[in-house]
Amino acid sequence: MAFGGSVNDINPENIATVDILKDASATAIFGSRGSNGVIIITTKHGRTGKPVTTYNGYVGISSAIDTWEQFNGQEYAKYKEDARQGQPAFLTNPNVTSPYALTAIEQTNLAAGVNTNWQDLLLTTGIRTGHDLNVAGGNDRTQYFFGFGYFRETGIIPDQALDRYTLNVNIDHKMTERIRIGFTSFNTMIYQKRLGTSAYGTAMRIGPLYKPYNDDGTLNFQPTIQQGVDNTTINPLTSIGNNDIIKANSRRYQFQHNFFAEVKILKDLKFKSTFGFGWSQTFNSNYTGPNNVFNSNANTAGANLSQSNAEGWQYTINNSLDYNRTFAGKHKVQVLALQEVQKNKFQSQQFNGQGVPADYIQDYNFQLVNTVTPQASGYSESGLIGYMGRVTYSFDDKYLLTTTVRTDGSSVLAKGNQWVTYPAVSLGWNMEKERFMEGLKFVNSLKLRAGLGISSNAGIGPYTTLGSLSSGFYNYGQGSTPLVNYVNGYTINTLPNPNLTWEKTRGFNIGLDFAVLNSRLSGSIEYYDTKTTDILLSKSLPRSNGANSILDNVGVTASKGIELTLSSVNIKSKSSGGFTWRTDFTGFFNREKIVSLQQGLQQDLGNGWFVGHPITTIYDVRKIGIWQTSEATQAAVYGAAPGDIKLEDVDKNNSIGASDRQIIGDFQPDFVAGMTQHFEYKNFDMNIVMFGRFGQTVVATYLSADGGANGYPFFLNSRVNIHKVDYWTPTNPTNAFPQPDASRDGLLYTSTLTYQDGSFIKIRTIDLGYNLPNRILEKAKIQGLRVYVSAQNPFILWSPLVKAGLGIDPEGNGTGNAVNSTAGGSPVQTRAITVNMGVPPTRQFIFGINLKF
Amino acid sequence: MKQKNKIFLILCAAVLFTATGCKKILEEQPRASIDPSYFKTPEGIQGGIAGIYSSFRGHWGTQIFTQLFSTGTDESLKGAAADVQHWFTYNNPLIKSTTNDYAGFWNGLFIDINTANGVLEYGANANMPAATKTQILAQAKFLRAFCYFYLVTTFGEVPLHTTFNTDPSTADSRAPLADVYAQIITDLTEAAADLPNTPAAGTGKPAYKATALYLLAKTYLWRAWSSAALPTDFTSAYTTARSVIDNKATYGLNLMPYFGDTFKEGNEYGPEVLMVIDHTKDLKFGQNSAPGSFASGPAENKSNFFWRPNYPTVNANYPSGGGASVCVRDIRNGRPFQRIRPNTKYIIDVAFANRATDSRFDGTFQTVFLSNSTQMAAVGSPGATTPRGQLINAVDTAIWFADRVVTPAERAAFKGIIFEPDHLPGATVKYTASYFPNLRKFNDSTRADLNDYSDRPFILFRFSDLYLIAAEAAFKGGATMQDAADMINVLRTRAALKLNQSPAEYAAAVIAQQITPAQITLDFLLDERSRELFAEDCRWWDLSRTKTLVARVQLHNSEGAAGVQPYNMLRPIPQQQIDLVTEGPAFPQNPGY
Repeated sequence: MAFGGSVNDINPENIATVDILKDASATAIFGSRGSNGVIIITTKHGRTGKPVTTYNGYVGISSAIDTWEQFNGQEYAKYKEDARQGQPAFLTNPNVTSPYALTAIEQTNLAAGVNTNWQDLLLTTGIRTGHDLNVAGGNDRTQYFFGFGYFRETGIIPDQALDRYTLNVNIDHKMTERIRIGFTSFNTMIYQKRLGTSAYGTAMRIGPLYKPYNDDGTLNFQPTIQQGVDNTTINPLTSIGNNDIIKANSRRYQFQHNFFAEVKILKDLKFKSTFGFGWSQTFNSNYTGPNNVFNSNANTAGANLSQSNAEGWQYTINNSLDYNRTFAGKHKVQVLALQEVQKNKFQSQQFNGQGVPADYIQDYNFQLVNTVTPQASGYSESGLIGYMGRVTYSFDDKYLLTTTVRTDGSSVLAKGNQWVTYPAVSLGWNMEKERFMEGLKFVNSLKLRAGLGISSNAGIGPYTTLGSLSSGFYNYGQGSTPLVNYVNGYTINTLPNPNLTWEKTRGFNIGLDFAVLNSRLSGSIEYYDTKTTDILLSKSLPRSNGANSILDNVGVTASKGIELTLSSVNIKSKSSGGFTWRTDFTGFFNREKIVSLQQGLQQDLGNGWFVGHPITTIYDVRKIGIWQTSEATQAAVYGAAPGDIKLEDVDKNNSIGASDRQIIGDFQPDFVAGMTQHFEYKNFDMNIVMFGRFGQTVVATYLSADGGANGYPFFLNSRVNIHKVDYWTPTNPTNAFPQPDASRDGLLYTSTLTYQDGSFIKIRTIDLGYNLPNRILEKAKIQGLRVYVSAQNPFILWSPLVKAGLGIDPEGNGTGNAVNSTAGGSPVQTRAITVNMGVPPTRQFIFGINLKF
Repeated sequence: MKQKNKIFLILCAAVLFTATGCKKILEEQPRASIDPSYFKTPEGIQGGIAGIYSSFRGHWGTQIFTQLFSTGTDESLKGAAADVQHWFTYNNPLIKSTTNDYAGFWNGLFIDINTANGVLEYGANANMPAATKTQILAQAKFLRAFCYFYLVTTFGEVPLHTTFNTDPSTADSRAPLADVYAQIITDLTEAAADLPNTPAAGTGKPAYKATALYLLAKTYLWRAWSSAALPTDFTSAYTTARSVIDNKATYGLNLMPYFGDTFKEGNEYGPEVLMVIDHTKDLKFGQNSAPGSFASGPAENKSNFFWRPNYPTVNANYPSGGGASVCVRDIRNGRPFQRIRPNTKYIIDVAFANRATDSRFDGTFQTVFLSNSTQMAAVGSPGATTPRGQLINAVDTAIWFADRVVTPAERAAFKGIIFEPDHLPGATVKYTASYFPNLRKFNDSTRADLNDYSDRPFILFRFSDLYLIAAEAAFKGGATMQDAADMINVLRTRAALKLNQSPAEYAAAVIAQQITPAQITLDFLLDERSRELFAEDCRWWDLSRTKTLVARVQLHNSEGAAGVQPYNMLRPIPQQQIDLVTEGPAFPQNPGY
């Protein structure tokens, strides 16, 4: 059944198996929803026999893997002075003042040796713990499974916490010899405290030369008061505690209930009908009272609050007829006919407010709120109808053939384009069953498989074919009469596109599964080659034609790659309990590129699309260094001076402009791989999981001076503290970062500083377990008891970004637009993988037990 | 129940359940968003008008717009925290590269034009009272003309579209200047015929008949200076401007008796105002962020930030280090963004050289900040202590931006800190990019929080500009030189009135303020425009129209003199527009960029 919730709603303890389907024949069962692949999660079921109870529990601590490297007190003072000297006016007036000179308090504190590390003051150690209790059992007719789970994690930012409760029930029942029914229920409740609120950003900016505490030990409420431009900043440590005035709670409840009935109409013919219903609700409740870092207002008239509620439900009805028969002992035939209907609905509201009579009112009574501001609501409804037919034939278990035809109709497309039909075929050959293989004893299994098929996708939001207007609001005069004074306003945003049609992916894959040497070495290798036509993307339009964009079928992309899975038993002791070492390896590389664009274009600069390159490409000017003192004359040609970023002048016209932009890179890794080492000795077991990504560009947004939402405001301007970088000065002729300049809010071309090598090799987990010997367990009537310790995300083995001192974790923690380019436009149009300077990622050390009785 | 029956029931239920509602599954009806077909309804076309007005908030009174258009003229220099520095300095290689900057203005106006086209196309057949419909269509014509006026005067030849476009074309080209001007004049003429003589009571100052005539007069003036000029244009500009001036009572217009009152808080809908971009305290319809959240909304009026010196960093011992801040940031004194500063050499020595009988220097600039050692300090409470004594809050002047060099004796006798114009010989404590006279026009003392936006409506067009338009048109041959002098003298007479002035002083000032036709030159007219309209977001356009940008920047602006080029009289086409035109001929950039 389609699952309406998110991955976080699933308790990992209740998962029996996870399968990932990619080839077109396999995904056809799921229709257009599966065109990007399908993840099948099978949950634990009951089984016939004596009831088995399992308890899995663990407790651990969680801490920041590192803190961001910023200027310390001495360095910060030097940075401010260097920025003063970096002002162009300094060349003619060496006494020029800096608008961001050290303030009187900072000077005093510098002399007194104050060096506050605000990050350390804001971080704490979190706790992570989980407890799961399951009971499974049943008899011939009825099997049951009950699972209850509890998970708690507290943040490395004080007061942040997440609690998750899960309850799962599976019941299967044979009513008669020919009728089977079943019921599955997942229920998840998640509570979160201080969701997404942290004063980390403020803490990183405030500078190391202000004191967090007064000399009498009390909190220094406004450390920078009456100092410089940021003189009203409130101490970020006011974010700790203060639970009566700071609240950011989220509550999510989600369930998925599935019912099925299966009827054996004939001996070989089954009918199955499944009804699934899922529902989820997320309720957020926020309050920020006065006098803390999040709200500088002095009293509750300035308290900010908001409440939002989002609700979604979805149902699926699925009917299938399944005919299964073997003829003459060798010809296996399966015919499957399937029909399904799915409906999704989503609705959300949010209300913001300001001003309450007292802090304890918080967001509990909107009638008492001085000003309530409704926010844009969300609503969407979409439906899908699908029909599928499939024939599977296998001969002697040697040769397998599957052919599928599927028809889908989707509500998100306009009438006339709603329906699509697409076929798929796949072949398999179990070679080890051939006679000629009999001599090759070292081959245990060998299967060659290939597939060719089409899948379709209408993964766009509802109503997008209708176009949209931007909403604004306006007041004519100071009155408040609706339609006279207060008027809703609209301007054109996106254009309607009734011709929008399905995106189609034609895929070919061929793979080999093998196991050799007594299955000591097994694995698979797979090659795939896909071509996607009528790609659905939002296309930016020249605004002179009067609209921002249109959702369109914009072109064709091709993607090919190889996936390799290997599992090797390196050492296997002959005696039971001896030393065993197994290695699992998976790796893939994928090459995606645009094959063609509408109107036969080779490039669409405004949308950032280039034939022969991936859809998400970085198109910007290229930094080739920093202008050095000896190059002053050359630099002046470009309107630059020593210390500025030196750029490649592609068209050699002695000027940097739009025509000097070039493709800098993309976000497609060259190669991604994971490796697990598994050791066993006597009752001990150990797993080490490694993961690596190579040749991946990331955008480190905090290394740019974009004043917008994406960059780091006042980077190299010296107004606030920043990530420590090796910046240029006349006496430090580096080519890494430009000279700071106190007279400029934003240095130019700093988007070029953000493109960094995001390659890495990480240890994901190391765990060490011990199974208590049976002789001890039997006495206690316990079937199994394992204790283990685990380190999660313990360290990064290799990362150029970390090594260069420019970040703490190269694995991107965000997506979105990169920073704007000085040379025009956004250098990355969609889905840049960004590394942002926020609360650091965490590592955990955990102790746990698995108990079965 | 028998097994057979059960099976039958299950099958029937499954089939029935699925069959019902199948038809509806594939239908869709948006409920939380509005689609373009809404313009076919009466509410939709009214909403289109409000949407266009609302979109103007994203330009006038915002940070980047203000710097993009108020820079690189004779009037202003860059402030210490300027973002868009190369447009102050005409540092040309960088101008060529920073091509994204005008995209917001370009994009916004073209979206507005298509919206107005939609209103005109669907509005003609809308089912609504004829009088209301006429008003809406007239507004749409005015707004379309308004957008084209700003496009053609900023970028030169631009694409001209007068029908509602829903075709996702990526081809476009620029129309001849003459066609664009002709369309603006047609639209404004038709709008003026239908718009009311005064706005409906209680609706502030949206465009009305006088606004359309004002913009029409200005359009004639622009075309008259342009390569698309008709021989009658200066005359048309003069007569159109005079038609409003001579019928000012009809349109509820008049000059405020005292110049300083034109921008006084509360006078935003006053008799001197022709059009505002409206704002209100209301968070929703004002599109404001909540008070105390650092003015984070893109539609807020932040005009009161940008021309403000960084007064809180003036310490008691200034220019030496040490001592407390003599005036801390609070609601009264405002948020000091120091993005732009007046070009005080030009202001003090040229445009506002006569400060004796002309009140407009005082009406435009705030030169004193009172002592304020804590936020909103009580009158009479003790303030910071300078080497010359303790200041009394809200009584003593803590910071004085003198318009001259003071004597050592004056300085010694003054408890606060005196700044002197940096260009004057003998100045000791000088104006800097952070410390300069504050612009008074956008002050807002009633904001809720010291970092908040202003809820004052943004005054876009003023009645006094009509006198200046008439004078310029007359000077260029649209009427006599005497007519030009008469027009100017109306404004100069008004400027003679000062606060706390004796009747005799006033009478003497009026006489001193009068000019003769012989005194009028183009430079004089431009100086007069500075006196009257300083910082009202029109200076670059004025210099561009009169083709004096290069000469006057070279003469007066030390930062921009070296870089300014004739091609700077047009702004560059946004690179985004050029990149996005992928069909047909490439979209041309303006020469020089």
